[in-house]
Amino acid sequence: MNGLAAQLAAELPQDSGTRPDWFKALRDAGAKQFRAHGLPTRKDETWKYTGLGLLEQHGTQLVKGAGSILSSLVAPVVSVANQIHMLDGCVQDIIGELPAGVTLLTLEEALSSGVNGLQDLLESLPQSPLKNRSSDGFSALNTATLENGMLIHVAAGTDGGRLLLAWSTTVDAKTDSVSRLSNSRICLILEAGANLELLEQFETPHVNTNTSNIVVQAELGEDASLQHVRLQQESDDTGLITRTEVAQQAGSGYTYYGFDFGGGLVRHDLHCSLLGSAARTSLNGAYLLDGKRHVDNHAKVDHMAADGFSEQYFRGVVGGSSKAVFNTAVYVHPGADGTEAKQSNANILLSKRAEIDTRPELEIYADEVVASHGATVGQLDEQAVFYLRSRGLNKEQARQILTTAFCRTVCDKLADRQLADAISQRMMDVMPRLD
Amino acid sequence: MLKITNLHAQVAGKEILKGLDLEVKGGEIHAIMGPNGAGKSTLGNVLAGREGYEVTAGEVIFNGKNLLELEPEERACAGVFLAFQYPVEIPGVNNTYFLRAALNAQRKYRGEPELDSVGFLRLVREKLKILHIGDELLHRGVNEGFSGGEKKRNEIFQMAVLEPVLAILDETDSGLDIDALKVVAEGVNRLRSPERAMLVITHYQRLLDFIVPDKVHVLADGRLVASGDADLALKLEEQGYAWLEGGGIKTLGNKNAGQVGTP
Repeated sequence: MNGLAAQLAAELPQDSGTRPDWFKALRDAGAKQFRAHGLPTRKDETWKYTGLGLLEQHGTQLVKGAGSILSSLVAPVVSVANQIHMLDGCVQDIIGELPAGVTLLTLEEALSSGVNGLQDLLESLPQSPLKNRSSDGFSALNTATLENGMLIHVAAGTDGGRLLLAWSTTVDAKTDSVSRLSNSRICLILEAGANLELLEQFETPHVNTNTSNIVVQAELGEDASLQHVRLQQESDDTGLITRTEVAQQAGSGYTYYGFDFGGGLVRHDLHCSLLGSAARTSLNGAYLLDGKRHVDNHAKVDHMAADGFSEQYFRGVVGGSSKAVFNTAVYVHPGADGTEAKQSNANILLSKRAEIDTRPELEIYADEVVASHGATVGQLDEQAVFYLRSRGLNKEQARQILTTAFCRTVCDKLADRQLADAISQRMMDVMPRLD
Repeated sequence: MLKITNLHAQVAGKEILKGLDLEVKGGEIHAIMGPNGAGKSTLGNVLAGREGYEVTAGEVIFNGKNLLELEPEERACAGVFLAFQYPVEIPGVNNTYFLRAALNAQRKYRGEPELDSVGFLRLVREKLKILHIGDELLHRGVNEGFSGGEKKRNEIFQMAVLEPVLAILDETDSGLDIDALKVVAEGVNRLRSPERAMLVITHYQRLLDFIVPDKVHVLADGRLVASGDADLALKLEEQGYAWLEGGGIKTLGNKNAGQVGTP
């Protein structure tokens, strides 16, 4: 175990307080795993292109509770009535009036009131095979420190509307030299036929060297539908390690739109398990990186039942000396006959110093499967650049127009035009420049 | 307005233009004809400033400016417009948005106020009316999925909106059937004006049935080898380019057309 993992292991909480036995056992198991396997290293296949040097360099420490520097709330990218604001992994504020059938509880409240299904959900977090167990290090750490977070519950047949989940971190006035590692867990339960649009925003208004380790677990009941829009814009030195775990029952739909503008170290593991038949998964995203920013996206879809559909559509524009890692995997398990799976990833490199590591994976163990995948990395189309310049636009304007159009194809899949335009505007603001 | 003197240019180390001289006055339409590989499209691309076309000698003076010193966008802002032989498809960029951005870039360069979307739309409607074309191209991506005819019509539409001083039409007739050709040619004719010169580059005479030039030049092996009025084009149609072999500059007119160039 390396220095950072050993130090974090020593900082793990010893006492789970007056919690149910299953909860104590869960935390203990997390701690045990973390002590045994530590954090991921580049030797783990799924962490080959992302090292934890930044966290080591910052001397990151486990810190309980939120920092004390007053932090204004993250401004939503579009107007949204119901908002949850999280600061350093803790609930900072909850705003709005929830529709009947939608319940928001802090994890602590949910545990003490014994919400149905919470134990199953928390215990269901999938693990990597034993030989790769260290690649789950952050999840183990998250489980070992389980305390902060939210439960979002949408009752059967309820339309929960749009809900903002905003994440930010701040520094502690007394110990501002400390780089805080905060852990948080979101449990999302959509009963049969329920709908929800979750708008997740990650922003750090203060430049800081903190890292957030967040796990979102979603359980979609039969014919439930979750639209998950994620907009991530951290400061240059901030770390963000997130995992989104989605379990889908028959006929359910999960639609993801992720927009990553990077940070010091940004990693997102997105995993969908299509457990029931005819479930649908649509994963879409764009990552735009400049400077020395880093984003690593690992998206994986497990088709475990018949007649499922999944598509992955990601676009990347990478400039400066930034680095994007993109791994998409689709596994069609035995019995998942009649599955349709599509993967598409295209990238534009704007600089010789920038790096893109993209890898599509596809494994099929079922019959009558339709599958396609493709990944490309290229430069700006010189013909198109000249065409625009010949009409009076300069090189910089041509780059802006072409890269925005390239990424706009992701926004255009959003049904809400207002949201699509707002995100498109954000993309234009951060679009990397030509070298 | 445009004076090209002893222009030499090469592409990938191969000399294509070998001392081309041409003078075009305001309001004139000149046709450049010639066999494949003569350097016709190279001339258009050199004038527009495409990368990869290296000028090794000669000069091009456009309205008192040394054109070859300018970036492609500066040439456009100064009033040079190239209608592409193969217009580029740019998926996801709205045609109207693109054209407004281009027009405003040019207006800004010239110190004129930029047009807002209302003003721009008014201008677009006016131009569509002049060209007798519908607005169906406006809302699509730039040339995205356009037919050959639509692409060329879109080039002419851009030309109408950008109002260049010098328009270079690079094989605008290629790939068009006769109906599409007529639509495009009619558009060009409506944009003829005493303030606007045009350089019509074509392999075939048929375009010149519809766009009647003031002068016709024959480009062969990197030089203009013959110049004349519109009738020269007819002669080329009749006799092909074979009689040009052997080179030499000939000046042809109506009266002596029959005397020159018989193989």
